[in-house]
Amino acid sequence: MNWLRLISVASLLLLLVPIFVLLYYGLGPFRDAAGFSTQVLRSIELTLFSSALAVVADFVLFTPLAYYLARGNDRITESLVDIPVSVPHPIIGVALLILDSPITPTGQFLLGLHINFYNTILGLVTALVIMSAPIYVKSMEPYFESKDPSPEEFAMGMGASRLKTLYSIVLPNSYDGLSSASLISMSRALSEFGSISIIAFYVLQFPFYGVSPASVTIYEFFSGNMSGGLNAAVSASAAMILVAIPITLAGHVVRRRAGR
Amino acid sequence: MIEAKVHVRVGEFRLYAELQGEGVICLAGKNGTGKTTLLRAIAGFLPIGEGFVRLGGADVTESSVEERDVVLVTPSTCFPHLGVDSHIIWGARLKGLRPHNEYVLRVKSELGIDYGGSVGSLSRGMRQRVALATALLSSPQAILVDEAFLGLNDRETFISTYGKLAKQADVDVIFSSQDEADGKLADYLYVLNDGLTTPKQREAVS
Repeated sequence: MNWLRLISVASLLLLLVPIFVLLYYGLGPFRDAAGFSTQVLRSIELTLFSSALAVVADFVLFTPLAYYLARGNDRITESLVDIPVSVPHPIIGVALLILDSPITPTGQFLLGLHINFYNTILGLVTALVIMSAPIYVKSMEPYFESKDPSPEEFAMGMGASRLKTLYSIVLPNSYDGLSSASLISMSRALSEFGSISIIAFYVLQFPFYGVSPASVTIYEFFSGNMSGGLNAAVSASAAMILVAIPITLAGHVVRRRAGR
Repeated sequence: MIEAKVHVRVGEFRLYAELQGEGVICLAGKNGTGKTTLLRAIAGFLPIGEGFVRLGGADVTESSVEERDVVLVTPSTCFPHLGVDSHIIWGARLKGLRPHNEYVLRVKSELGIDYGGSVGSLSRGMRQRVALATALLSSPQAILVDEAFLGLNDRETFISTYGKLAKQADVDVIFSSQDEADGKLADYLYVLNDGLTTPKQREAVS
């Protein structure tokens, strides 16, 4: 008997119990129409939209950092990247709130530029970027490290800077790694609650006027602030899981293919 | 003219190497004797503990890789997403050079590049020809060929032709080989043994 496999499968099932529970009860005994209402679907739509925007921002802003970490030897920067996900997530929401508060100099400056995080798509996406970027960087870094550096060294020998090498040589040959890291970090963004429940409890902008992110909506059902209660919370959770699972699985499938 | 006197330490391995010459230089030695280490030190990818690297009389020891104007070509060097023709002039365009079309065609012809398409879909030997042509057309001070001549079916003819084209372009070439006999294809032969070149082992063959 392969005990290692047996123990591994048992521990995996332990991890997946909450998912199975929600899918079973949410689609079965606790099924509630409120959990699949237009309001919930709009919440999921907002979550998908903002998470996708966050991943685009991750790609634009953090790909150079992942490459720098992969090809450099900067241990301090590498450690700092993990900080946002290693603190309680509501702290990030509070930080963004203070950063953009009218009672702080930074907030006065940002608001003067019409940059408002509070209950806006910008605030929501900013929080999601901060929470998903470390996952993106930590996915791209080993991918870049695994790539043969010879073509990069060849380009640099001909006078290309590291940045030029990244954009002209590395990225055009990294679609698999980029797709995988984007999908995995999008999964992380989809699951965020702590920070966004503070900075963007709901969005007060077109086309999502008054819509809350899915995780906040589920919490609102659960806490009784929205009619539907536990049954609606469980049903909405099941709906969200059904949306999130394909994205997570796709990310891992692409990563396995990228690793070949 | 390339002049290098380098002391490099990589883990437990120590390299004390010295070479100078112009034209085509063959760096021979068995596996693990330090050929790649020496080439990488000259190209600027390994810090030199003591010594210097001079190109055309100018000291480039402290220059970054991008500024050094030395191209390192290995068997896996290529840009697979580019087409052959774009690849070949990539380095030249980066430097703002505009090589004459006739010259590009001549280089392609003499190096046996009579094919097109995506570089990623080519065989290893075909890719190596493209990479070597790319390096040549970028007109660097020196091209360091780390075993990238291996696997070419017309290897000896290719090295001779490449050396001739490089001299015409005023580019020095150092190529590594496991076979000392390849020295006959070069203007200078240096032999590395356990990370050491000595004047005694250094020999101008022409």
